[in-house]
Amino acid sequence: MKNKIYISIIAILAVLLQPSCRDLNIDPLNVIQDKDVFGTEAGVKGYLATVYRTLPIEDFYYRQEGSGFNRQWEHFYHPGALCGELVGPYGSTYDGAGGFGYWPYGDIRTVNYFIENLPVFGTGFSKEQIDAWLGEAYFCRAYFYFALVKRYGGIPIIRKVQHYPEQSLEELQVHRDKEVDVWNFISDDLDSAYNKMPANNERGRANRYVAAALKSRAMVYAGSIARYGSENFVAGEARDLGYAGIPASAAPGFFQRAWDAAKLLEGHYSLYRKKTDKEQNYVDLFLDKESTENILVRDYSLTTGTAHSWDATMTCRFMTADGLSRAYPTLELVERFTGLLPVVNADGTPRRFDNTSQLAQGLEPRLLATIYFPGATLRGKQFDMQRGIYEHFAGTAADELGQNPPNRPFRHLAGKTETLFNGMRIIGFTGISTDGDDFTRTGFYIRKYIDYNRVQSQCGLYMSTQSWIDMRYAEVLLNRAEAAFELNNLADARNMINDIRDRAGAPLLTGAFTIDTVRNERCKELAFEKQYWWDLRRWRIADRLLDNTKYHAMMPYYIADEQKYIFLRELEPFQRSYNFEKKYYYEPIPGGELGKNPNLYPNNPNH
Amino acid sequence: MQKIIKGLFILLTVVMVSSCSKEDNFDGPDAAFKGRLLDNDSKENFLTETGGVQIKLEELSWSATPTPQYIPSKIDGTFEDTKLFSGHYRVTPVNGAFWPVEGVEMDINGTTTHDFTLTPYLRITQFTHELEGTTLIMRFKLSAPVETGLPRILDVKPFVNTSDYVGSGATISQYTDANKVDINSSWSADIAAKTYELRVPNLKTARTFYARVGVRVDDSFKQFNYSQVIEVKVP
Repeated sequence: MKNKIYISIIAILAVLLQPSCRDLNIDPLNVIQDKDVFGTEAGVKGYLATVYRTLPIEDFYYRQEGSGFNRQWEHFYHPGALCGELVGPYGSTYDGAGGFGYWPYGDIRTVNYFIENLPVFGTGFSKEQIDAWLGEAYFCRAYFYFALVKRYGGIPIIRKVQHYPEQSLEELQVHRDKEVDVWNFISDDLDSAYNKMPANNERGRANRYVAAALKSRAMVYAGSIARYGSENFVAGEARDLGYAGIPASAAPGFFQRAWDAAKLLEGHYSLYRKKTDKEQNYVDLFLDKESTENILVRDYSLTTGTAHSWDATMTCRFMTADGLSRAYPTLELVERFTGLLPVVNADGTPRRFDNTSQLAQGLEPRLLATIYFPGATLRGKQFDMQRGIYEHFAGTAADELGQNPPNRPFRHLAGKTETLFNGMRIIGFTGISTDGDDFTRTGFYIRKYIDYNRVQSQCGLYMSTQSWIDMRYAEVLLNRAEAAFELNNLADARNMINDIRDRAGAPLLTGAFTIDTVRNERCKELAFEKQYWWDLRRWRIADRLLDNTKYHAMMPYYIADEQKYIFLRELEPFQRSYNFEKKYYYEPIPGGELGKNPNLYPNNPNH
Repeated sequence: MQKIIKGLFILLTVVMVSSCSKEDNFDGPDAAFKGRLLDNDSKENFLTETGGVQIKLEELSWSATPTPQYIPSKIDGTFEDTKLFSGHYRVTPVNGAFWPVEGVEMDINGTTTHDFTLTPYLRITQFTHELEGTTLIMRFKLSAPVETGLPRILDVKPFVNTSDYVGSGATISQYTDANKVDINSSWSADIAAKTYELRVPNLKTARTFYARVGVRVDDSFKQFNYSQVIEVKVP
């Protein structure tokens, strides 16, 4: 009897213990698994969304120093203010020339992980679907490498996810790759992206034409670095080893690839021409979410907390609800459109105007849509900027701008808008002040991207929601025009420029033209779109343009006894000088990375 | 109550002050490095300005790939840094208007002295000046010690200041850029033969100015080769 009981106890125990022989190898329920992410559509989209969020799009927030791609409200720390497109809060070009140590290998790892694991776990999806997503990943990876190579030249190309501690330190401390190899790698990734992706995708995400557009941009950069960087460079070990610099012989190949990529977009996008009024059309191009010109955009919203501050920081507080402005278009930028403005009579005396808005009469619609001139109106308020008041004015503009200005004793300037002279505001409501810089320093304000339909009370910090257009068709046409010119295909370059000029309301290009014509068109069309800094660098002309250079203002004055206005072409009031050292054609490899990985030496020349 | 508060404040002060008293147990920078930059021809001090040449120091005894530190030249063509750590350095004059030179490896301890001989890209020769009313006229010729491979010559500029510290970083800007002469061409017999004239008009009267001219080439650094400094008394 006892034995029976023992046997049955043993039997029960044996049965009960049986399952415990299985390994306790159960996936934790509180950690999301690769198969959950890469096996479901929502998982994949969510994963890609994190990649897109970190994409180095140089949008409203972007600064060429300090916080870089982080989200600060001070959009007037604009890269254009380092190099003469704007005058702004920067003391000199050096404030931003060295960059901010951008080093997104963590983000690149995220993309590489996706490329390796999606085909493993995503077996439930169709091949087209997997290819489309992989194409987006290749596009994003190329975007990261483009952001690196344009700053540092050759950097390590990491194609696969690195593993630590499985891989040894020697294996993980990678060397720099040659600059030309990085550009070729970007080109290959974008080709993969183009071949894998379909023609359409959701707003804010890449499709095959977005990849082609980025390729046209990247390849025209590479071509100009090859061609002009081999003439104007800083000698050094990194250059000798090919880390900084591309052989000139590679230039035609890169330009050809830029042209081919740009050509792919033909017929799929078009310049925005919805409105017949060319000025209004150009203004709306940056605000109309349905624009046929938009290739890649980034959206912002109040509900997701991503709204930006462009409206609050680009015009003065008179027109906005909060914030302040500190960056203003230079007269040199305006003169790219107009040449010298007609403010001086044949006899050298300043031309008399009945009101300041007469200055803008007859100017190119695109210019007026890009920059607020004196006399323009925003939200029912007028840009009434004045530098000051002359009781009376005699003699020439040149004398007044010389060392012994004859009318100086009769001139009144002011620091505050409420300061009056005979009942008139000396500087109006919108500047130009003798104190500080929260009114214009040049007589102009930025108009591009300003949302004129937004009521003033909604123009506060982190309240603007217009999209940033990272790539638009006009840029692709300009990439193509530049590549065509560099390949000596002048007819094609002319056609592209004339398409842009026609939309802009500018006179068409006839007769002979040079590479400077093509470049100037780019500077005009893409003003304030955060391209100018990179363009000056890749053309290797920054050290010539920014050579102890000071920038100018167009100063409106009221002449009290004549009840007329004049404009004087003066230095902007801060008289800052901008200087670009050749070594800044490459940023230094970040010191922290050099400390972690000595194989990143040699650093770029003279850093 | 007040007494307690005061007492607490005194206690706090004593505690905080005493916490500052710990000795720094690392040696301070106790070595110095100084010397002259010499023109290869005249063996006189190289004509430069404050910071017109940088002495690059790489502390090899600290690391094989050290972050370089720089000693800027003084206006008289000498340099000196008295706050260096003793050690083995590679020392290279860089960032100036001279043909590149190889670095020198040396130990720096105590006060180490070393002179560097530099070959300028260009020399200002036959430098004369005169004052015509309030206009300063400076005339000179250019000569190139080494002609092969000389980068494109950019421009010649006058520099004027109210002290004898004068150069591109210390000049009255309205006297300088407005009166420069662009050359923008490679070295040629024409340039060698030409007498250049820089005019600086409208000098303020009853002042003493110091002036010199500079010429630069389109190398990596775009620094100036200078003339001697002259004193100009405007009546």
